[in-house]
Amino acid sequence: MTRLWRSATYRVAFLHSAAFAFAVLLLGMGVYVLADANFRREQDRTLMPEAARVVREYAEGGMGDLASSIRKRESRPHNNFSYAVIARDGRQLLGSTWLAPVGAGVHSVMVRRHGGPLQPARVLGTPLSNGDIFYVVIDSEELNRLEDQILMLFGGGFLLVMLMGAGSALLMGRHLKRRLERIEVTARAIRAGDLGSRVAVGAADDEFDRVGRSLNAMLDRIDGLVTDLRQVSSDVAHDMRTPLARLRGEIEAGLNAAPDATAQHRALQRALERSDALMTLFNAILRIAEVEGQSGADFAETIDLAALACAACDMYAPAIEDGGRTLRLDVERPAQVTGNRELLTQVISNLLDNAQSHTPDGTAITVTVSGHGREARIMVSDDGPGVAAADRARIAQRFVRLDKGRSKPGHGLGLNLVATIARAHGGGLRIEDNAPGLRAVVALRSA
Amino acid sequence: MRILLVEDDAATAELIVQGLGDLGHAVAHIPSGSEAVRAVSAESRYDVAVVDRLLPDIDGVSVLQYWRANGVQLPALMLTALGTVADRVSGLQGGADDYLVKPFALPELHARLCALQRRPMLGEPATQFRSGDVQVDLLQRRVRRAGREIHLQPREFDLLALMMRHPGRDITRKMFLETVWGITFDPNTNVVDSHISRLRTKLNHGFPHNPIETVHGVGYRIRAE
Repeated sequence: MTRLWRSATYRVAFLHSAAFAFAVLLLGMGVYVLADANFRREQDRTLMPEAARVVREYAEGGMGDLASSIRKRESRPHNNFSYAVIARDGRQLLGSTWLAPVGAGVHSVMVRRHGGPLQPARVLGTPLSNGDIFYVVIDSEELNRLEDQILMLFGGGFLLVMLMGAGSALLMGRHLKRRLERIEVTARAIRAGDLGSRVAVGAADDEFDRVGRSLNAMLDRIDGLVTDLRQVSSDVAHDMRTPLARLRGEIEAGLNAAPDATAQHRALQRALERSDALMTLFNAILRIAEVEGQSGADFAETIDLAALACAACDMYAPAIEDGGRTLRLDVERPAQVTGNRELLTQVISNLLDNAQSHTPDGTAITVTVSGHGREARIMVSDDGPGVAAADRARIAQRFVRLDKGRSKPGHGLGLNLVATIARAHGGGLRIEDNAPGLRAVVALRSA
Repeated sequence: MRILLVEDDAATAELIVQGLGDLGHAVAHIPSGSEAVRAVSAESRYDVAVVDRLLPDIDGVSVLQYWRANGVQLPALMLTALGTVADRVSGLQGGADDYLVKPFALPELHARLCALQRRPMLGEPATQFRSGDVQVDLLQRRVRRAGREIHLQPREFDLLALMMRHPGRDITRKMFLETVWGITFDPNTNVVDSHISRLRTKLNHGFPHNPIETVHGVGYRIRAE
């Protein structure tokens, strides 16, 4: 029982039932008290006309008529009344019912009929003109029995209510407990390491189902973040292994070439390049973390996208043209955004760098600025070989490089940074088929 | 150059002292912020200071603020592992003249210190520079070579002006990117080299020799005459 009481669900259910039973008890008591008072008043009221009738006969015919009237009345089969005339000195003069003299007025007394047992009764005493007192007695036993029956009925009803209350409390408590246990089971499973465990949700869409669904959504989000973090850590560790191994190799080669100054110098030179590449990778990772951690104040500048794109193209055009490709800026519609100038410049920079390092000579690269309602867009498109549809979906993920041999320089974070910056500006990155070629669309919220 | 180095990490300090020493500079090393505050006054005879941002006692920004409040005009470069844009801004607002994120190449540090040292700290900022037969007017944004006017694109002009302010000094690619385009990220592509190549073509058209020298692995400089 203490165990049940310690459970909040059972406690609530029991308290609820107890309150209900208490209300039934109060109601029953109120009804009983009122009914009792009414019954007794009604009973008393029947005494008075009966007494008046008999006393009238006494007034008309004296003691002799009174005696015969009492006898006549007592012999009637359905007479509820009995009678007594008691002298001033206490002697009983008439009537078959014995009672202690109590004087005028209505009283509750114990009476003995025909020498039988003492019984409760109500009595009305009326003084006669000769000083004797005439009593009309009515039996209370019938009324008491009726009231006992009412009391027993109520008692039984109350007991039933109590039992039903306790039963329903147990049922309700068990139901609530079982619903809550589903959540607890999930929590325990997750604590034990099963991050995929979810709260079982029914079709009723009640508050438990809603809580369950909210918890599941929260768990999905956390699961996503944890998976992401795991993926990033393992990707970083994995991506770091190869360049570190190469770096180590270069240093080892340099040490082995100790007497040969030229070979040593060459090895050191290569080791330096390797460590620079590693640094670039680290910087890219940090840059993404930096963008993800930036607050609203860092994205508060009003920026004319066309002007920004123009400056970026101006910066890149010579390098792209030197590489044998062409660069064109196309402002379809001027667009303004609220954001961070340097980060948006980096968006164009990364996209242009991608476009020119993964396309052959003669490719035409176009930067397009446009606005569509609440959306401002920067697009970088090329007419190069493009990317297979399956790869387009994953190209912006961290460390994804389509160049399997990794012969080209790069760390697979360029597009991921673009996507991160776009998200930080309330937008996103889409990679589309330019037919032919590839098109990167950065959609931003226009200012 | 007499260089003051405030750096708590012994290994980094040793590399800088040795590296800059090999290039012919005298480097005084102070390992803590409190000593840097005590040891330097307006009368100190250093040309330039390198201050690490994260020092164990008083941080680099506070050291610079203390110096500036006490009349120490010494040009200072802040060295730091904190590379976010916000860190850079707070460092420059704290009184640093330049900001370099670790790890760095020694030529990068050297080039920046040379540029700082040559910065005119007092008097009217110069608006005209001459080196050999090349002449740059910053106000009118005009370039003349041997008296003949040469028309440059705005960014080409900025590149040339930056080199002309520091004739004979190395200007790194990073310095070009920060000063001319205002970007602190690495654009990967050889943005700077392509612009310099165009600048060279225009500047050298009809002239036998090239005043813009390539510093291998570092950047460019204008030949000092």
